[in-house]
Amino acid sequence: MSTVQQQPDVSTFQGLILALQNYWAAQGCVVIQPYDMEMGAGTFHTATFLRAIGPETWNAAYVQPSRRPADGRYGENPNRLQHYYQFQVVLKPNPPNIQELYLDSLRLLGLDPTVHDIRFVEDNWESPTLGAWGLGWEIWLNGMEVTQFTYFQQVGGVECYPVTGEITYGLERLAMYIQGVNSVYDLTWTNGPFGKVTYGDVFHQNEVEMSTYNFEHANVPELFKLFDFYEAESVRLMKEKLPLPAYEFVLKASHTFNLLDARRAISVTARQGYILRVRTLARNIAQSYFDARARLGFPLAPAALREEVLAKWKENAE
Amino acid sequence: MSSRDFLFELGAEELPPKALKGLADSLLASVKKGLADAGLSYSNARHYAAPRRLAVLVEGLATEQADRVVSVDGPPVKAAFGADGQPTPAALGFAKKNGVDIAELDRSGEKLRFRKEVKGQTTVALLPGIFETALKELPIAKRMRWGSSRIEFVRPVKWLVMLFDDEVVPAEILGLTSGRLSYGHRFHHPAAVTISTPAAYAETLRGAHVIADFAERQHSVQTQVQALAAKEGGVALMPEALLEEVTALVEYPVPLVCSFEERFLAVPQEALISTMQDNQKYFCLVDAQGKLIARFITVANIDSPSPEKIVAGNEKVVRPRLTDAEFFFKQDKKVTLESRNERLKTVVFQAELGSVYEKAERVAALAALIAEKIGGNVEWARRAGILSKADLASEMVGEFPELQGIAGFHYATHDGEAVEVAEALNEQYQPRFAGDQLPGNKTGQAVALADKLDSLTGIFGIGQPPTGSRDPFALRRAAIGLLRIAIERNLPLDLPELIAFAAQQQGGKLSNKTVEADVFEFLLGRYRAMYEEQGIAPDVIQAVQVCRPRVAADFDQRVKAVAHFRALPEAASLAAANKRVSNILAKEPVESLGGDINAALLSESAEQQLAAALQTISADVEPLFAAGDYTAALTQLARLREPVDVFFESVMVNVDKEEVRRNRLNLLWQLRQLFLRVADVSQLQA
Repeated sequence: MSTVQQQPDVSTFQGLILALQNYWAAQGCVVIQPYDMEMGAGTFHTATFLRAIGPETWNAAYVQPSRRPADGRYGENPNRLQHYYQFQVVLKPNPPNIQELYLDSLRLLGLDPTVHDIRFVEDNWESPTLGAWGLGWEIWLNGMEVTQFTYFQQVGGVECYPVTGEITYGLERLAMYIQGVNSVYDLTWTNGPFGKVTYGDVFHQNEVEMSTYNFEHANVPELFKLFDFYEAESVRLMKEKLPLPAYEFVLKASHTFNLLDARRAISVTARQGYILRVRTLARNIAQSYFDARARLGFPLAPAALREEVLAKWKENAE
Repeated sequence: MSSRDFLFELGAEELPPKALKGLADSLLASVKKGLADAGLSYSNARHYAAPRRLAVLVEGLATEQADRVVSVDGPPVKAAFGADGQPTPAALGFAKKNGVDIAELDRSGEKLRFRKEVKGQTTVALLPGIFETALKELPIAKRMRWGSSRIEFVRPVKWLVMLFDDEVVPAEILGLTSGRLSYGHRFHHPAAVTISTPAAYAETLRGAHVIADFAERQHSVQTQVQALAAKEGGVALMPEALLEEVTALVEYPVPLVCSFEERFLAVPQEALISTMQDNQKYFCLVDAQGKLIARFITVANIDSPSPEKIVAGNEKVVRPRLTDAEFFFKQDKKVTLESRNERLKTVVFQAELGSVYEKAERVAALAALIAEKIGGNVEWARRAGILSKADLASEMVGEFPELQGIAGFHYATHDGEAVEVAEALNEQYQPRFAGDQLPGNKTGQAVALADKLDSLTGIFGIGQPPTGSRDPFALRRAAIGLLRIAIERNLPLDLPELIAFAAQQQGGKLSNKTVEADVFEFLLGRYRAMYEEQGIAPDVIQAVQVCRPRVAADFDQRVKAVAHFRALPEAASLAAANKRVSNILAKEPVESLGGDINAALLSESAEQQLAAALQTISADVEPLFAAGDYTAALTQLARLREPVDVFFESVMVNVDKEEVRRNRLNLLWQLRQLFLRVADVSQLQA
C-alpha cells in the first residue's frame, strides 16, 4: 500500500519542515535547497546575502544547516548544538502583510495566537562580518524566542532598496515546543512505517565527534594558513569580476575563522582584525554583485524600480 | 472662539518597548510646541502609547487662528526719499520685496513700515504640518525603511487616524491617508474599529482589548502583579525600567504566576534575578527578608482560554537559563577565587596601563594605605584588593557581566575568606549609580576608594580624561562615588596625598606629567554637580571651591557652614564687604600684604573698634576651626558685620600717609584671612 500524506504531520521534525516549506511555496516563494557549504546562518546563503542586494524582486524559502563550532557541547547540553537547522524566508520587497503571513504560518503549525502568547519583541540585527544590519524583532512564543524577523537596511555595506524582509525560524526550538520535549535529542524526526527515529539517532554522534574536532583537533596552524589563502583567492577572483566564486571563498574564510575562534586561537585584540578582513571581502563582493546585476539590467526588477536604480547607478559610474 | 476635540493616532508594527514612552512624551511635547507656535489655543493635551500605536488627544482646540497684523520695518524714512521727494532705490526695493506700491507704505514713524492684515488659517489646514514636523523631530536612534518605500520611521507604519470632533482631517503623513479606522488588539480584535469622536477613543479601544493609556496600563500591570505576588506570600521586584518595558510590550496585560524548581535557589539569587529580568522580562518574587522564592510572574498580552499553556511555556524557557547559571556557579566553585588571578595576567585593563592583575596589585597597595588612614584592617584591605578583580575571570561573570562583585562575594565566602574581605569584593563597585548605597565596612570603603583613584589617576595619566559627553571609563561617576564615600563616611583622607601615591604606583607608565594636579582639579570640579543635585546654590559651592580643601569631608563641612551662613541676616552685607576688601587687596602686590597691625597707628574709632572685634572674635573662633565646626565659626564671624560696615562708612583706606594706609590694609587682610579659613564669602551673590 502506498499513500502520499497530504498534510505534513507537524508533530515530527521533518513534518514541521515540510509544513513550512509547503506554506511558503503556496505564498509564491522559490523553494530553494540548502547551500552546500559550511555557514553560520541562513543569512549567508546567496539566496539571502546576495539576493537582498539591488532592486530585483526575490521571494525564497529554504532550510539551511548552520554551523557554529563554538556552540558545540559534545552532545551533553539539551539545548546547544554546533550544527542545527534554520528555516529561512526572504521576501523582497517585503509585502505590507509580512507579519500576518508569518503569523498564519504559526497557525498552520497549530499555534493559535489567542491561546499562546506570541509577541514581537524589538531586536536589532547586525552582522559585523557581513557588513549588514537591519531592524526588527525576535518573536516570542510563550516567552521562548522561536524566530528572528528582520527588515534588512544594509548588506555588505550596500543600502537595501527595496527592503528584504527576513524571517528565520529556529527549527529545533520550535519543534521542541510543539513536541513538548526538554532535550533536542528527544525530538521525533519521523515516526512512520519504518519506526520512530529521533534527532539524537540522526545527530548525536555527529555532535560528539564534531565538538571533539572543533575544540581539540582542528589544526590551528593550517587553519591560519587556509584563512590567508581563502582571503587571497577571494581577492583574486574579484579582480576577475567573478563575485559568486569569490563569495564562496568568503564563506570558507568565515568558517575557518569560526573554527579558530572555537579553539580560542584568536586573542581578543586580534579578533577584531579578522572580522574586519572578512567584512572587507564581503563589502567588495556585495558591490561587485550589484554592478554585475546592473550590467545585466536587473532582469528580475519591476520596470519602474529598474529604471530608477539603473539611472542612479549610471550617474554614479560617471 | 469655537473649539473642538482633536485626535491623532498613528498605527505601526510593534514599536521598541524601551523607547515607547519616550517617543510618546516627545511627540506630545513637539505637538504642544507646534500648536503654541501656530497660536492655536487648547484646554488640554495628552498622549496614548501602546505597542502598535502612538496617539495624541487635544481637547478644546481652537478651530482657527486669530487674524493678525504683520508689520515689517524698512529703511529709515529719512533715507527713503531724496531731496526732491522721490523714493530712493532702498525704499523702492523694500516696497517691491513686500509686493506693494511705495504709496501704500506707512511713513509716519522713524522707519518705513509695511503693515498687512493676515487672515488666520483654519486649524484643519494647520494640523497636518504640525504633526509632520513633530514626527520628524522624534528622537529615533535608527530610522528604518520597508518595502519599496523611501519613507522612514521607527517601524513600518500601518494606519492614520486624524479626527476633529467627528470629522476626518484630510492629510497624507508617512505615506498614509488619514481616516477614522483604527485597529484593536492584534489577536483579540484584529478587525478595524471606527473611532466616532476623539473623546470616544480610549473607550472604543478598550472595547477592542487595548488599554491605550500608558500610565493606566502600567498601573494595571503593577497592581495585578503585586496582588498575585501577595497570594504567593511574596513581593514582586519591579524596577522602574522593567515595569515600563513590560507595559510597552502589551496591549492588554494579563499577569500569570509561574514556578521554577526549588533547587535553583542554591544559586546566588542575583544571577537568577538577572537572567529572569533581563532576558525574559519577568518579575521575580521575594519573601519578607528579600530572599528569592521559586516563583516569577510573566505578563502575557492575551486573555488565553488555556493560561496553563502560557505558564508551561515560560517555565520551559526559564529552566535552561537557570540551569546555565547553576552550572556556572558549580563550575566556578571548583577552583579558588584567588587562582583566577592567573588568567587576569593576560587580560588587558588598558593598553598603556597593563593587565587587570596589575591593576588589582595597585588597588591592593592603595587600599592598604587607605585602611591604615581610616582605622581599618590593613591586611584585609590588601587581601580584598588583590582579589578584587578575580571574579571577572569566572564563568558566571563571563555569562552575566552585571554580577561582577556579587559573584566575587559568593566565591570568597565559599573559599572561607574573612567576611569583610568577601563583602568588600561587592562593595568596591558601590555606589553603582546616583543614590546607590555606599560601602558599609572599612575594608569595602578602602577598596572602593582605591579602585576609583587608580582608574582616575591611570586614565588621566595617559591623557584620556573625559571630554564633553565622552566619558568611556565613567570617570565622572567614579569621582562622585569617591567623594560621596569620603564625605558620607567622614573619612580623614588627604586627597592630593592619595593621588600622588596612586600616580607613583603606575611607575613610568603615565605620560601626563601634570596628572596629580589634573585629577585633584577634576575632583574639585565634581563637587558642583554633586551639591547642585542636593539643591545647594552654585555660589555657595564656588565659595568653598576657591579654598581648595584637600579633604572631602572638610569640603562638606564648609559647604554646610556657608549654606547656613548665607541664610543669616548679616550675610549679604559681609559678602559685599569681603568683595570690597578683596578688590582693595587685589590692587596691592601680594608680598606687601600680611603685616601686623600697629595699634598706635589706629587713629579713628571705627578702625579701632574693628581691630578690637577682630581680636576678640579671632580668639573665639580658633577652637571652632580646630574642631572643624565651621558653622559655629561663621556664626561668630557674622558678629563682625557691624564694625565692618561702620569701618567702610567712616574710614578711608587709601590715604596719603603710607604708614596709615599700610596699617589699614593689614587690618583688612586679617579680616579677609579669617573668613578664608572657611570659604571665600565674597563669591556669594546677593
